[in-house]
Amino acid sequence: MNLDDLTRNSGEWLRGTGPESDIVMCSRIRLARNLADFPFSNRASRGEKSEIEANVKSCLDSTNLNLAYFDVNGMSSLDRQFLVERQLISRELANGEGARGVSIGSEENISIMVNEEDHLRIQVMHSGLSLHEVWDRINRLDDQLEETLAYAYSAQLGYLTACPTNVGTGIRVGVMLHLPALVKTKQIDKVFRALQKINLAVRGLYGEGTQAFGDFYQISNQQTLGKSELELIRILTDVVPQVIQYERTARQVLMNERKQHLHDQVSRAYGLLKTSHMISSEETMLLLSSVRMGINLGLIDDLEIATVNELFIQTQPAYLQKLHGAELGVEERNVARASYLRSRLSNGRHVEPE
Amino acid sequence: MKCQHCQDEATVHLTDTVDGERRELHLCLDCAREAGVDLPESPPNLGLDAVIQSLIVNNVGELVGELAKLACPDCGLKFMEFRAIGRLGCPHDYQVFAKGLDPLILRTHGATRHVGKVARRRPELSERLRLRTQLKNAIAREDYELAAQLRDQLRSKDADA
Repeated sequence: MNLDDLTRNSGEWLRGTGPESDIVMCSRIRLARNLADFPFSNRASRGEKSEIEANVKSCLDSTNLNLAYFDVNGMSSLDRQFLVERQLISRELANGEGARGVSIGSEENISIMVNEEDHLRIQVMHSGLSLHEVWDRINRLDDQLEETLAYAYSAQLGYLTACPTNVGTGIRVGVMLHLPALVKTKQIDKVFRALQKINLAVRGLYGEGTQAFGDFYQISNQQTLGKSELELIRILTDVVPQVIQYERTARQVLMNERKQHLHDQVSRAYGLLKTSHMISSEETMLLLSSVRMGINLGLIDDLEIATVNELFIQTQPAYLQKLHGAELGVEERNVARASYLRSRLSNGRHVEPE
Repeated sequence: MKCQHCQDEATVHLTDTVDGERRELHLCLDCAREAGVDLPESPPNLGLDAVIQSLIVNNVGELVGELAKLACPDCGLKFMEFRAIGRLGCPHDYQVFAKGLDPLILRTHGATRHVGKVARRRPELSERLRLRTQLKNAIAREDYELAAQLRDQLRSKDADA
C-alpha cells in the first residue's frame, strides 16, 4: 500500500454505518505508550529516535497485522498534510523532526504513530457509536505490540507518558458527533459547559486547538489516571446518548416549527455544492453540514450519507492537490474543489472533472 | 501645600463641618500634635514580611529551591525545564521529580494511583536507559574507552533479551 492507494479509497470510519451514525461520525480510542529503554521522543537524540523507530518497525513486522509503514520524516509536506486531513496522523507528528512515521491499516481504522509526543500513539477508529468494539480491537493490538516491546510502566502510575496529563491508562476515548441543529438553535454552548463540568473535553474535527468544523465536535475524556479504561469508556457511553438526544430534539423542533426555512436552506446548500465553479473550504464545510442533516431528515433523497462524509475529507486542500497531481494555489484549489464536488454530486450523470 | 501655622510642608489635612460650614485645616506633623490633633499611630512592625517569607519557605519555597536544582541523572532534564515545556524527558523522571509531580498529577486527575490495564513486563527502572545515557555522556566527554565498555554492556543486555 502506498499513499496513492489511499487517495483511491476512503476510511472505514466514513462509511456512515453503525449505531447512531446519523449523528455519530465515528468512535475512536488512542493509547499513549513509551518504550522503557529510551528517553521520551522530545529528549531523544537523533540516533535514539532512529532506534525507537527501528524497534517499533521490527515489532510491527513480526505481527501479522498487515499494516503499511510510512516514513513521515522523508515525506513531502503535502503528503504529511494529506495524512493529517485523513485523521491518520496529528499535526504534531506532521510538523515534528527526526525519525518518525506511521503504520496504517488498509481500512484506515488503525494508525500507529511513532515518535510523536510519545513513542507510540496507537489509534483505532470505527464508524458509528461503537466504543466497546474499538476498545476490544485496540486492547488486542496493544497486547500484540507488548509481546515484543517493553513499555514504560510503574505500578503506582501505570503507563508513563511524556506529558503527565496522559499518565495512567494513557487512553483518550473520543466520539465525533455531527451537531448542526444544536449549533443552529444556539444551544451548543450550553452543552459544552455541561460537558466541561463533568471533565470532558470538546474539540473540533482536527483535534486540539482547532475550531469546530462542519459542525463536527469530538467529545473525549481528560482524566487518564484513577479510573480504568472501561470506566472511562462508560462515562462516554453514558453521556453521548444524551447529547444525541438533545440534537435529535433540536432537529425535531426545526422540522416542526421552521420546516420550510430548513428545507430551503438544505436545498440551496445542495444546489450550491452541485453547481458552483469556485468554492472555499470553509463554505464547503458549512454547506456539506446542511446537506448531511438534510439527508438524515429526509429532505434530500438522492444522496448517500457516506458520500457526504467522504466529501468532508476529500475537499480538503491536500487531497485535492494529490488528486490533481500538483501543488495548487488557493484560487486554483477553489476551482478544483468546485469541479470535484460537481463530479461527485451529479445525480448519477458522470461528469469529468475539468 | 504649606502648613497654615509654620510654613513647613503640610502633611495632615483635616476637614470638618461646623454649623453647616465646611472647614479645612492643613498642618505639618509638629503643629498638628501641638494643636492636639489625634493622629493615628504608624502601624507597629509585626514582622509580617518575615512571616510571609517563612510561609513560602515552609510550603513551596524550599521545595521550589530544591526542585529547581533537581535534574534527572538519566535524561538530564531539570524540573524547572519541565515546568517551562510541560514535557518530561524520560520515564525515570516520574521518580526523580515525584515531589513536584505528585501534587500536579493529583490536581489534573483527582487521583494518584493507576487503575486499569496492567503492563505485562514492569521494569520500574530501565538499566538500558541508564547505560544509554552514560554512553552518550562518555562520547560527549570523548572517553572512548568507557564508551566501548558501555556499548558492550548494552549489547550483552540486548543479546539477553
